Amino acid sequence: MPDRDDATRERERRFTRRSLILGSAQTAGFLLIGWRLFDLQVLERGHYAPLADENRIDLQILAPRRGRILDDAGRPLADNKEIFSATVTPASAKDLQALLARVRQILPLTDGAVAEIVQRSKKQNRSRPVMIASELTFDELAKLNLFAPSLPGIGTEATWRRRYHGGESIGHVVGFVGSVDRFGVDDDAVLRLPDTRIGKRGVEAGFESVLRGSGGTQKIEVDARGRMVRTLETIEPVHGRDVMLSIDADLQKAVLGRMQRERTAAAVVIDVKTGEIVALVSVPGFDPAAIASGISEAEWRKLATAEDKPLLNRVVSGQYAPGSTFKIVTALAALDAGVVSPDERISCPGHYRLGNRTYPCWKSAGHGDLTIHEALRCSCDVFFYEIARRSGIDKIAAAARRLGLGAIYDFGLTEEKAGIIPDRDWKRGNFNAPWLGGETLLTGIGQGYVQTTPLQLALMTARVAGGRAILPSIEKKTHSIEFAVLPFQPAHLDIVRNGMLAAVNDDGGAAEKARLGSGRPQIAGQAGTAALTARENVAQENGRQNSRRNHAIVVAYTPFDAPRYAIATVIEHTSTSDDTAAPLARDILNLVLDHDDASRIHKNTTGEGVAPPRGTGVPHTTETAG
Amino acid sequence: MTYFSTRNSSRPFTATAKLVRIHWPVLLTTCVLAAIGTITLYSVSGGSFQPWAERHTLRFLVALAIVVAMALVRLEVWIKLSYPAYAVALLMLALVPVFGVEALGAKRWIEIGQLSFQPSELMKFALVAALARYYLWLPTDRVGRWQYVLLPLLMVLVPVLLTLKQPDLGSAMVFLALGLALMFLAGVPRAYFAVAAVLAFAALPVIWSGLHDYQRRRIEVFLDPGMDPLGAGYHITQSKIALGSGGISGKGFMQGTQSQLDFVPEKHTDFIASIIGEEWGFTGLLFLIAAYAALIAMMTAMAWRSENRYAQLVIAGSATSFFIYVFVNLAMVTGLVPVVGIPLPLVSYGGTAMTTLMVGLGLAMSGYVHGRESRRSNLGPFW
Repeated sequence: MPDRDDATRERERRFTRRSLILGSAQTAGFLLIGWRLFDLQVLERGHYAPLADENRIDLQILAPRRGRILDDAGRPLADNKEIFSATVTPASAKDLQALLARVRQILPLTDGAVAEIVQRSKKQNRSRPVMIASELTFDELAKLNLFAPSLPGIGTEATWRRRYHGGESIGHVVGFVGSVDRFGVDDDAVLRLPDTRIGKRGVEAGFESVLRGSGGTQKIEVDARGRMVRTLETIEPVHGRDVMLSIDADLQKAVLGRMQRERTAAAVVIDVKTGEIVALVSVPGFDPAAIASGISEAEWRKLATAEDKPLLNRVVSGQYAPGSTFKIVTALAALDAGVVSPDERISCPGHYRLGNRTYPCWKSAGHGDLTIHEALRCSCDVFFYEIARRSGIDKIAAAARRLGLGAIYDFGLTEEKAGIIPDRDWKRGNFNAPWLGGETLLTGIGQGYVQTTPLQLALMTARVAGGRAILPSIEKKTHSIEFAVLPFQPAHLDIVRNGMLAAVNDDGGAAEKARLGSGRPQIAGQAGTAALTARENVAQENGRQNSRRNHAIVVAYTPFDAPRYAIATVIEHTSTSDDTAAPLARDILNLVLDHDDASRIHKNTTGEGVAPPRGTGVPHTTETAG
Repeated sequence: MTYFSTRNSSRPFTATAKLVRIHWPVLLTTCVLAAIGTITLYSVSGGSFQPWAERHTLRFLVALAIVVAMALVRLEVWIKLSYPAYAVALLMLALVPVFGVEALGAKRWIEIGQLSFQPSELMKFALVAALARYYLWLPTDRVGRWQYVLLPLLMVLVPVLLTLKQPDLGSAMVFLALGLALMFLAGVPRAYFAVAAVLAFAALPVIWSGLHDYQRRRIEVFLDPGMDPLGAGYHITQSKIALGSGGISGKGFMQGTQSQLDFVPEKHTDFIASIIGEEWGFTGLLFLIAAYAALIAMMTAMAWRSENRYAQLVIAGSATSFFIYVFVNLAMVTGLVPVVGIPLPLVSYGGTAMTTLMVGLGLAMSGYVHGRESRRSNLGPFW
């Protein structure tokens, strides 16, 4: 087949020809680069070399000072300490040994330290400064500057070091800073400075852009030995803005003190009117000062991998099935949909049948005939199965979202999780399966797929209590914002509020142990248990017996008749809610009210809402400061 | 069916014979380049193998082992995998906007479990393989017909558009240049390229308005580095000062003031050439360029010696991608083109580009090992 061979040969020839053309183009490209390099490095050397060595103009970036983080009274939770360090630039020193000998008259340097400095300056570039001593005292700094003309090559550098005040009590709120992992060509020039620290967690990360400020520049002329000749131009940096938080350092400490009695727990208190977070504690926690002052890798790994996850802010990142606290949502959804009237009685025989499956009430003997008020008081499961079925999942999900569940608020704590409010679309999207009737029942009592964070539960409680769609804020508000009224009828909200009041204050109520002593403001609330799913149970099988227990959850607000504070508490792996999470909620609200009274007396002003009568004989007053 | 069978691959070689047939001088050159990288990274970190030099060396050795392993795999396997690899790469590129992870303002990464990678990197050698596969199938007399030009053009342009959207200007440019070079080598008539050049020139204003703000800003800063001395212009200016002050012979190992004193940003990745230029001078950079030129020339010779069309094209494609990386990087460092994130192959620190190029080289090497009949072809005595 001579034809085909000819064709192949022609194709080969064409490939060779074309690759020669491409090769010529590539050669031309390399020649262009070569010519450019010759131009820069050989012909223009006279222009660039001075720029690099003698009388070089250094363009230095001036670091902005990071803004402070303050508590609601203006006390610093995070601030900066200026520290000075001394360096030596070997290229500028004639005789390094002699120079260091003179420096030793000012700074206490050991023989070993001197040997190390000499060693290090030999190993690296001679015009790169070597650290001699850090954290100079003011006296040492003054002497070094005074004798600077006779100490060529010695320089001092000032940097800011982040300090934290309040230890573990503010860890999860304030977070911490760390060094910059990576930065790109287009990033803020400040990030290029080796001493720059950026927020990694909590408010430090959430308010990074506000706290950081922006860098300035300084053009200085330096001589051949790297000494400054004069400053040509200075643009001052814009320092970061202070952020004032809505939490109070003393209250945080008191709440932490109470919470340390639990192993793993989370609590958050929200101002019902403003949405400001009054207290936020998650245990176990961490001391940001320990992390920021240079934590060893082993210690860090221990923190990061510990079984009880001390770095996890359970208030915003912990996702729990809300349990019976979700009955607040189910009740409002049913009332709003008109499928149950306030007076209607539904009978609870201790179990509920749907199709061929039976769903138990927590009280197997049954509750008898109940109105919605009574059902909320004793947290009857069967009643809520029935009204959940009547409402349907989509109405329940809509009500949950209106009350603030299933959403991220992006208010400055970066680790926020959204949780899950399941509905038909969600199930279709995640399991590609239709919604089942039984799942509506489980959702109605806060089990099954529903996942909420303690923050969302506190927000839900605050919205029910205040009747407005408030949003959470960790920053102290300087002016009041009028939030929209919740799209529920006031009468319906009142039924739920009264049910919550009864759950706490009636004998046999579901959250009875949350009751405050007589003479104290009344608390309204609801208790729930997050049943661990089967999968979690198996996963925990090898763990301690404790790990297999359910989570206890309580939501509450107070005072009942003029709501100011809403709280959500979660205690992981514990016994019943009423025995654990309810007393915790009560104690924390007590601390908040005490603190409120104390600061009001201190400020000699009257706050918003109704002033609650000052109680007597309350056991926890000693724990609050002020 | 018939287009899989080539004269030589029907008679399998033993593993030893394959090892002998590998073009060892090419691999030796890659070792020299990687060693330059190690030495420079050692210098950049102030005389320490940490944090970069050691990892760079280890990564290269792993990549080298991959090249040898790939070279031993029969060419038919790579031919059969070409289209599927392209399809997977294209699918992933299309999915980046949906499942991608955002880093530094651009969505380029996909995370699968612990692994995260850029689909655009997979596409770089998948595109070469798929185009080679296409021209292996296409009879020579149809190469010039417009329908058969349109199809490979689409294979190139779709990934270009997808990466432009991410936005990843660098990868889009690599795809375009690589794709057009391969079509040129495959014998697409020159008239098409002339028309394309005219169209591209006419479309410049449209492209400009379609660019992201930061991309436009980079080009503006390139034209006038003084307008942003701390941002992108800072890179160009400092890099030029580093190179210029290096002179003919350089300041000496570990003695660069510009680079060592942190004036040059990204000095261990994209701007590593300015350090080589400062410390080893014009001589050092000429040696570097010579090493790359030798590598590319040897690979071009490898393509000529191959008798299989697929092998020819993947080898030429791999050589061309080396050229594109080296040229764009050096042009950027010397201030000839705006700053785009393209590293210096095998020298810059960073695993992604190294893996991509070495996998491409492995493909080429398999083509070279299996794609020719005998040790000496009849193309000429020298090659």
